[in-house]
Amino acid sequence: MTTETLWTLATVLVFPGGLFALVLGLALKGVERRAIARLQRRIGPPLVQPFYDLLKLMRKRTLIPDTANAFVFLAVPVAGLASMAVAAGMIPIAGFFEPSPLLGNLVVLFYLISIPAVSLMLAGSASGSPYGAIGFSREMAIVLAYEGPILLSLVSVALYAGALTGQPVLLNLTEIVRYQQQHGAFLFDPWMWPALLTYLCFIPANLGIAPFDIPEAESEILEGPLVEYSGPPLGLMKMMSVTKAVVVLGLGIALFFPNGPAGLAGLLVFIIKCLVLVLAVSLLKAAVGRMRIDQAVLFYLKWPELLGFAGLALAIARF
Amino acid sequence: MDFLSKAARKSPWLYRINAGSCNGCDVELATTACIPRYDVERLGCQYCGSPKHADIVLITGPLTARVKDKVLRVYDEIPDPKVTVAIGVCPISGGVFRESYAIEGPIDRYLPVDVNVPGCPPRPQAIIEGIAKAIEIWAKRA
Repeated sequence: MTTETLWTLATVLVFPGGLFALVLGLALKGVERRAIARLQRRIGPPLVQPFYDLLKLMRKRTLIPDTANAFVFLAVPVAGLASMAVAAGMIPIAGFFEPSPLLGNLVVLFYLISIPAVSLMLAGSASGSPYGAIGFSREMAIVLAYEGPILLSLVSVALYAGALTGQPVLLNLTEIVRYQQQHGAFLFDPWMWPALLTYLCFIPANLGIAPFDIPEAESEILEGPLVEYSGPPLGLMKMMSVTKAVVVLGLGIALFFPNGPAGLAGLLVFIIKCLVLVLAVSLLKAAVGRMRIDQAVLFYLKWPELLGFAGLALAIARF
Repeated sequence: MDFLSKAARKSPWLYRINAGSCNGCDVELATTACIPRYDVERLGCQYCGSPKHADIVLITGPLTARVKDKVLRVYDEIPDPKVTVAIGVCPISGGVFRESYAIEGPIDRYLPVDVNVPGCPPRPQAIIEGIAKAIEIWAKRA
């Protein structure tokens, strides 16, 4: 193995993928639970509660239902977590970290981001539980609804950055970040606002946050796809979802507002941006109830889709 | 292992089983011990929908004949280690339903009960104290 391969492996397993993304994700989850508790005027769990929960799950027994397909049931959490570790390794942190070009570009990242949703669907259908099946169908519906807008948003950014740098399309995330470092963030560019709004709409649906936590609605379908999981596989599923939060927030930061100072301060600025996003998301979660699946699908096919097309039109108009 | 069990005692997840209760205790549990005013989440607790995620199981009701098999099946689906808390007088004595032909209880004929919170229904503060006692037992088992 060459040093480059080893370095790429380290970015996937330790920083910023794997270990770092997991720890940051768990910490953000703790902040979210605490913030919601404070918004409801209660004390709330300690900030490290998600770490306790994860360690606790490692002590519990693993039960596999008779009706489940055991191989798929146990393989799916591993696949989901692995894809998220790779995706986290592909997120650049301005001034601090540039991902290895070996891992691929924005298109690969887009596919990796949809793998957790596929894992949840497979988990729900492989568990053999009717609640899992309902969760599966709801997850499928909402993925089909938000996948269009997020693709439009990513393509708009790639086309826009391409137009500004004189290429047909710029799919390299590192270069998108570098361009914004030199010429100012897309957050402050009105041409990019529709794409930014589309991305913001995509965050709650992908992370399963109210009002779009329909596939995992714990009070009506008992966490849907996760209903039959217990012990370490459930822990892997939780790890997948917190790492996914880091990937999705990190990608949003890289696409629209990556600017930060060089060195360790850049990492600090990145974490602060994540915290601000998580606090906004907690406010949303504490403020609203859950939609029905048909309302959510209709919402995504209407407004974010429209915004996405507007963003795409603006990006093309810039050529 | 010691480190893991220290972390585990701070993360007891709760699950409710209604064994034919009149809903009085369930209302106290679900709408009183769960709402922001009486915050059990500060003890690390979290209500979970699936029995497979649970650590501490809260049972209400006198165990009616119709519901007995279902309760035992759901109880078996909770992975070990687990702690059982009986809420209200019904699970222990049958309460106002005792000596009825439709009652299979008391519940400790079928399940090991660790903590009982008496009352008809118990106050939310009492339920939270019961959960706190259950957490002490959970800390020894986890």
